[in-house]
Amino acid sequence: MTSTDLEIAQPYTGEKARLSRAYDYLILVLALFLFIGAFHLHVALTVGDWDFWVDWKDRQWWPLVTPLMMITFPAAVQAVLWTHFRLPLGATLCIACLLIGTWIARFFAYHLWNYFPINEVLPATMLPSALVLDAILMLSDSVTVTSIFGGMAFALLFYPSNWPIFAMFHVPVEYGGAQLTVADLFGFEYIRAGTPEYLRLIERGTLRTYGQVATPLSAFCSGLLCTLMYPAWWFIGKAFATTRFVQKI
Amino acid sequence: MLKTIKKFLGLLGLGACCLMLAPSGAAAHGEKALEPFIRMRTIQWYDVQWSREKLNVNDELVITGKFHVAEDWPRGVPKPDATYLNVSSPGPVFIRTERYLNGQSSVSSAALKLGGDYDFKIVLKARLPGRYHLHPFFNLHDAGAVMGPGHWFEVAGDPATFTNQVKTLNGDMIDMESYGLANGVAWHAFWIALGSAWLLWWVRRPLFLPRYKMLQLGQENALITPLDRKIAVLMLAGVPLFVFGAQAMTDRQYPNAIPLQAGMDQIEPLPAAVNGLVKLKVQRAEFNVPARSLTIVAQIHNASDQPLQIGEFATANVRFLNPGVGPSREGDKDTLIAPQGMSLDSADPIQPGETRTVRITATDSLWQRERLDGLIRDADSRLGGLLFLYDANGQRHIASVSTAIIPTFN
Repeated sequence: MTSTDLEIAQPYTGEKARLSRAYDYLILVLALFLFIGAFHLHVALTVGDWDFWVDWKDRQWWPLVTPLMMITFPAAVQAVLWTHFRLPLGATLCIACLLIGTWIARFFAYHLWNYFPINEVLPATMLPSALVLDAILMLSDSVTVTSIFGGMAFALLFYPSNWPIFAMFHVPVEYGGAQLTVADLFGFEYIRAGTPEYLRLIERGTLRTYGQVATPLSAFCSGLLCTLMYPAWWFIGKAFATTRFVQKI
Repeated sequence: MLKTIKKFLGLLGLGACCLMLAPSGAAAHGEKALEPFIRMRTIQWYDVQWSREKLNVNDELVITGKFHVAEDWPRGVPKPDATYLNVSSPGPVFIRTERYLNGQSSVSSAALKLGGDYDFKIVLKARLPGRYHLHPFFNLHDAGAVMGPGHWFEVAGDPATFTNQVKTLNGDMIDMESYGLANGVAWHAFWIALGSAWLLWWVRRPLFLPRYKMLQLGQENALITPLDRKIAVLMLAGVPLFVFGAQAMTDRQYPNAIPLQAGMDQIEPLPAAVNGLVKLKVQRAEFNVPARSLTIVAQIHNASDQPLQIGEFATANVRFLNPGVGPSREGDKDTLIAPQGMSLDSADPIQPGETRTVRITATDSLWQRERLDGLIRDADSRLGGLLFLYDANGQRHIASVSTAIIPTFN
């Protein structure tokens, strides 16, 4: 590692540099709260129960819906941070904020207020996907390449990166004369008055046409849709972002 | 004027503080909110009982009962092809350890048959201390929740002593309260640490204004250093490799992992308990709104070999009793009973083989308190319920009541 490698771009010095840094922190703190609130709300409304409950995290719908709905804000924020600032951290920042909001909600709302054991409401992580998405954008400097390869990678990495967290909830148990997973048993034992079992959108559809291997098909399907969703939200981010206030400084 | 406004705002604030400082638990679960015709003509509960009222953490509570699925199912409500026998409670303050429909263990959703008779048993285990109002109820797909009778329970003890051990098919005993938590938190912590490192790598340097300015000046190459690129390449290759490696290791650790189970239970109705030896045909039904009184003129045929007396009319968990007929009500803590609520035009028993036209009147303020009088404003103003008849030996016969209803406003 040379001194050139660590050299950090800094056109300002003295008081200007200090003020510029204060502005950085101001924006970062505001962005933190904005993304925690807005992205968390977006995911709660679109991914919803698939992310809330361990017995909704199936092989078909969970890996299809989650990346598709979670690539949205990262794409829009990347459009702003990369286009105007060459900062390749939009996806990681969004997903990190989402996780902060999610963990706060799961602990306070689900566990302390509604008494669910927190292992029943463990959130999924998309941080590995987000890191790869940021890296692809940075290395390619191309929306098209990031849409195709980043969008695909974002979806394909989702299930395998969460399997180490949730595999143990798929261990079978015998209960009431039937075979259930531990996750199913959570749904049965820990009473949810408003989310009866039949509402679970799990394991439905024809993806198992290719045998019992449903997840890769679902993940590729999600990947294909993410390659379309990514540029759509990139342009949303681009359309709604403005740098006119920065230009005046 | 200003003083008045200040006083008003002060009082308002004081009221809000009082409300916040003295919170009270919800004592209802929206059981009156559902339209009366749905409550009366879908799941018709009866004989619901609870094993105990006071219990300690880890103690079992058994709820038993019966229900009839109305033949005259409302047209506006989807048929009960997917239903779930549930328990309304303020979260999992109890856990459900067993559930039976018609004696058959049931852990999933099930279809119900119109006109079918069912009994149920739900075994709960107290988890958290407190005073709770529970109902058995049915979630009906696309229709809502049809509540059974509710009851208060008191749970004492230390929540820390609650245990919920389950044996997996691998033979391992697991504690459902903590299973998988440490592993999940560890994986989240690992990825959050890696994500935070990536964010800090960038955030440590001047961000918005200098980078924007340099980009505008065409100096963007200085914004991404060679080391940045190396790290990004490392991440691009390393993260997927690590992810797929961890997945493969997890697969080896849990070779018997199975998909979530999505099947439905198949439950056949019991032999008919309703509309057996007693047949009932309603000729006219009127609801007197100001008097809160329902009058049914019905033709009843007694096909049993014993004289029968009408003892009770039940609809939407409200029970109108004919005093002196049927089993003793002593010790019955059901709050939705009108003990003197039923009257008949003739107290004479209906003889075996006889068909008689009977005028039954069910009167009580419960019609209003339970918001059943709103039936006359429903889009489907038909009434449903169960009529209970008894012979001298206490043998019970049940007939379902289904009729259009005419309001009277005088």
